[in-house]
Amino acid sequence: MAVPGEKYDGEWLRVHPASPFVRGWVALAAIGYFFGRDTFERMLQGEPLVDGQIAGRAPWLLAGGALVLVLAVLGFILSWYFTRYQVAEGYVRVNTGFLFKQQRQARLDRVQAIDIVQPLLARIFGLAELKFEVADAGESAVRLAYLRMDDARQLRATILARASGVEPDPGRPEAAAPEAPEQQVLQVPPSRLIGSLLLSEQSVFVVLGAVTSVVLSAVTENRGFFLYLIPAALGLIAAYWSSFHKGYNFTAAISPDGIRLRYGLLDTQAQTLPPGRIQALRVVQPPLWRIFGWYRMQVNVAGYGAAGNNGEAGSRTTLLPVGKIGDVLNMLALVLPDPGTAEPLRVFRCGLNGLDSDGGFVTTPRRARLLAPLGWRRNGFAATDTALLMRSGRWWRQLVVVPHQRTQSMALHQGPLARRFRLADLVLHTTAGPVTPRVIQADVVEALALFDAQAARARAARKRQTSEHWLAQVAPLVEPAPPVEPAPLVEPVETGDLAPHQPPKLASSPREPGWRGPKLDQRLLDQRASPRASNPPQQEGPQRG
Amino acid sequence: MHTAAIDPPGITWLRVSPKYVTVRLAEWAFGNLIVVALLSLPLLLILLGWWTWPPLWLAVAVPAFMLVLALWRLVVIPRQVRAIGYAERDDDLLIRGGIFFQRVMVVPYGRMQYVDISVGPVERWLGLCTLTLHTASASTNASIPGLPAEEGARLREQLSARGEARLAGL
Repeated sequence: MAVPGEKYDGEWLRVHPASPFVRGWVALAAIGYFFGRDTFERMLQGEPLVDGQIAGRAPWLLAGGALVLVLAVLGFILSWYFTRYQVAEGYVRVNTGFLFKQQRQARLDRVQAIDIVQPLLARIFGLAELKFEVADAGESAVRLAYLRMDDARQLRATILARASGVEPDPGRPEAAAPEAPEQQVLQVPPSRLIGSLLLSEQSVFVVLGAVTSVVLSAVTENRGFFLYLIPAALGLIAAYWSSFHKGYNFTAAISPDGIRLRYGLLDTQAQTLPPGRIQALRVVQPPLWRIFGWYRMQVNVAGYGAAGNNGEAGSRTTLLPVGKIGDVLNMLALVLPDPGTAEPLRVFRCGLNGLDSDGGFVTTPRRARLLAPLGWRRNGFAATDTALLMRSGRWWRQLVVVPHQRTQSMALHQGPLARRFRLADLVLHTTAGPVTPRVIQADVVEALALFDAQAARARAARKRQTSEHWLAQVAPLVEPAPPVEPAPLVEPVETGDLAPHQPPKLASSPREPGWRGPKLDQRLLDQRASPRASNPPQQEGPQRG
Repeated sequence: MHTAAIDPPGITWLRVSPKYVTVRLAEWAFGNLIVVALLSLPLLLILLGWWTWPPLWLAVAVPAFMLVLALWRLVVIPRQVRAIGYAERDDDLLIRGGIFFQRVMVVPYGRMQYVDISVGPVERWLGLCTLTLHTASASTNASIPGLPAEEGARLREQLSARGEARLAGL
């Protein structure tokens, strides 16, 4: 896929010289501790620095220690020297290793996400790690640790600019791509984060466990029960701390290069999800969160993989740790700029909180209320022009959204009981992640119709998506819909001024007030589309990378 | 031909080779008979008088239950094999299977990442193969077992060609 203006071959660069020490500081600290502790203790006790017995061998010991240290440092330096990276011709390449060499290249337009991570120590030194994710859930395609923060941001901007299909200035091809301008969309205040943790599912178990143990110890007069609680309490504190730490100062911003998420108390992380890289999304509301109307959003992104026990994947797939309904709708508007319906607010609100057939949802038929006594009025689905909405759960409310063009494959399932009630489940297959889309207990006729319609819609949506360069992706150019139907909302980010032949009436299509898609004004987009505009991007919000 | 309630109407299913029943029988024998034989060991030991602990009724009941289960599985194998079907449509491949827990799956050609053909020892003896489609989703569990080898090769070429023509991104 030729990107215009990419003859320029980027030069080979190295990561920051201090990075092996920041990465290997544990080993160095261990060596230092090992040799230093003994000497220090002797100094405190006023004894000679070396034991009299081994005084004769002291030079040898010192030489041995020095040799270990020198070898370690030499290893660090060699690994640093032989790690080089380059961004050129639509690829990012990384060469590593001096005994066992590894050369790796990844196509820029296959980028699924770019993360900039700053562990605490790296943050102190102003360094950052850059992770480039492609659709291989196993590991990051490219990990560069560590770069100077400015360099990391610059590299991210360059990669995103190339991947989006921005034309570099032909006059000055080596000119650095400007960082895409961005606008902050929402921020999670710490008080709400703490509240959400206190009211989360695990807190219910904490209270239950505490009550049980108190009752048990009162009944049996055995104080031993408290002892069993100590490891459980430690684990819970760790879990709470990790949730707090990962969700602290969570901000979301929108830029032409996609959604930017930033969070972290000690270690900070900045994720960039380019447009159209979110494979599936879910909004959940645990029962206690209903008091304050809070929701949590999680996503499947091809590069992030499943959120198993690994806490890192768990926080990376969180689109919103806790937010009110307005925040949820804002984020939905960012993920799904074209909701594909004339009244997106009503449809999505019904998906979040609704029952029965409000908002066009098709629910489990009444005859199946024995199978789902609580959920039958809630379990349902609704299809807009661009996405399939699946809601479920009366107590643990959940709404799953899958854009049509992201559907991989589908399957209808029917067990013996469901056959008796003439029901069927429809499972949509997406990439690995926390979201597993499933329409549960739908009427069999409805499910079959949805199965066929969904296959057709996914096919049409795939045909519309022509390029992986998101600035070149022109959203529905020729929509076969008759003009009486509401025209599809045109996503200004994806079209920008790259589609001057776009009929202007589409651009001013009826947009329901409140569905605030990415409200980037045209000036910012113009800057993005042509880096020749030399005025620096206006950043809103704190510049934290 | 019998089609179930969740089959899309108007589809002519291609069935897999009846010889696939033999493959399933071999698998069944390998799995179930060994389990039943192992569970019968305590019964044998008790009858020989070497063991006293598991009472006789338990030693009889457990293997008998497993035997009934195994026989049930044996009885449904031909029906299960007859229930497997696939159909090539213009833009996607349909695969169905199961009698009690039925499943109909649709895999768009443009979503295929790669196609696998695998052949086990019994399948090789019978001239059969298993074709598996992989998409970017790990939950796409789309395999067609019991295809005659030449049909498998034809289908693989056909799917690859169609996949290339309709290739879509992620």
